[in-house]
Amino acid sequence: MVEMPPTSPDHRPPPADPAGEPLVELRGLTTGYERTAILREVDFTVRRGEFAGVVGPSGSGKTTLLRAIAGQTRHFDGTVASTPRPGERALRLGYVPQVEAINWNFPLTVGQAVLLGRWREMGWRPWPRRHDRELLGHVLERLGIGHLENRQIRALSGGQQQRTFLARALIGDPDLLLLDEPTSGVDIKTRHEIMHLLGELNRAGTTILMTTHDLNAVATHLPRLVCVGEGAIVADGAPEDVLTPEVLRRTYGADMLVLRRGDAIYVVEHLDEAMAAADEEAAAAAASGG
Amino acid sequence: MGGLAEPFEFEFFVRGMVAATLVGVLCAAVGTYVVLRSLAYIGHGLAHSIFGGAVVSFVSGISFYIGATVWGVFTVLLVNAAARRRQIGGDAAIGIITTCAFALGVALISRHGRFTRDFDAALFGEILGITGGDLAVIAGVLVLSAAAIFAFWKQLLFTTFDSEVATTYGVPVPWVEALFSLVLAATVIASLQVLGATLIAAALVIPPVTARLLTDSFTRMFTLAALLGGASGLVGVYVSWFVDVSSGATVVLLQGALFVVALAWAVVRSRWPGTGGGERLAAIEGATLD
Repeated sequence: MVEMPPTSPDHRPPPADPAGEPLVELRGLTTGYERTAILREVDFTVRRGEFAGVVGPSGSGKTTLLRAIAGQTRHFDGTVASTPRPGERALRLGYVPQVEAINWNFPLTVGQAVLLGRWREMGWRPWPRRHDRELLGHVLERLGIGHLENRQIRALSGGQQQRTFLARALIGDPDLLLLDEPTSGVDIKTRHEIMHLLGELNRAGTTILMTTHDLNAVATHLPRLVCVGEGAIVADGAPEDVLTPEVLRRTYGADMLVLRRGDAIYVVEHLDEAMAAADEEAAAAAASGG
Repeated sequence: MGGLAEPFEFEFFVRGMVAATLVGVLCAAVGTYVVLRSLAYIGHGLAHSIFGGAVVSFVSGISFYIGATVWGVFTVLLVNAAARRRQIGGDAAIGIITTCAFALGVALISRHGRFTRDFDAALFGEILGITGGDLAVIAGVLVLSAAAIFAFWKQLLFTTFDSEVATTYGVPVPWVEALFSLVLAATVIASLQVLGATLIAAALVIPPVTARLLTDSFTRMFTLAALLGGASGLVGVYVSWFVDVSSGATVVLLQGALFVVALAWAVVRSRWPGTGGGERLAAIEGATLD
């Protein structure tokens, strides 16, 4: 029997009220880029207060699902409906792209990058007013990067870069936070910190939808999981209901093992991977505890 | 008087110096966005195609500014339409259409059998032949471009940094891009008499890249580029009086010399860790002329 370390409970916010107000509703949506449809006839709803993860293999359409909500794709059929706050025309979105999609050579300091998220509220002036600067300081402090305001975005660690673009999303006070692979390319300790931070934001009321390729360290800790395979939603629900060998085969096109121990779920291709995953979790727990 | 103040005795020279300074500021400011969006080649191409427009307007007896504007807009639309076909690609589309527009100008000249001073000016610039009317056009374009950049500073910056994400944050990206194309076309047309089709690309690219070597902040890069562009216009024309070399070429050579000094400075600084010189050096590796 493989010994599994316990999952840290603070990663796991309670599931959102299923009767909660729908923020975004995709109905029969076929969407993609130029003339190519990536997602076909997708029905999907995000409700206020949710914290949901989208998983699937590369090219399955998980980033496209996020970008369809963000208005960056071309819709061929179906509808995207959203419920903005009273008095506003559109939903306020906070979008954090994949680190690979960002031009790190751009001459932008952390402060300048974050203030872009508030361009509408800043009025006609090119420069920030006192109130904007105060808000900037507040958001940077909250994310623990207050001392980096004048640093160029390339001269940051992976975790600091994620926090910078998370800050750009949060400074606009978003209704919905969309994150594309926020834990890719960062070390285990940073991944834990980011997930902890997202859990905190969600408990404070932010609705979050994120993609991840990390089933064990990220996806199984989320209250809701959406499996996307070959341009369609294969399964949608709590990880314990969704993560079955059958769903995983339809999502990834490969046979995988699902191990359960108490509340913990581990998805592995081979049993020796389970050992490695357990070791990694133990190391991460030790690192974030220290 | 004589000596160092001698050139100021001639009104045409003072007018040329003012024109070169204004064009230097204009090209460098607009060029900051051109460089950061890796559009250096379109600036180069646009200048060559507008030369064709200049010839056509001369042959058909209409105003250069009207002919060149219509021709420039037509070329940009053609390039956009051709670049939308995936088999061609943006740089190849620019290469084909702008060189054909240029060749058409050359063909018309050879058919008419006279290579007048006007064409010489359109190709290589004729700073000392600037009229009061030309100067008014340059000043007008500078004021209008500065107003557009000031009013849409945040939208332009966001679109330049990441146009897709800017869409998600509510920036009207197609309008911002159309505005920028208009400013770029106006800049090239206004600069043609001063620098000529062959040297405009240098004035668009060299000062911003030099400024990028010296700073990691967008605001400072923009300001520094405009200062370097203006100063090299002013000093370049003044120096050209004494060395008896083409004024446009002197301005561009001076900008090149400043770039070499900034590059050497960045190399020296990169030897001392923590100054950011190394990162900035890496950042401009991708930003070449074409």
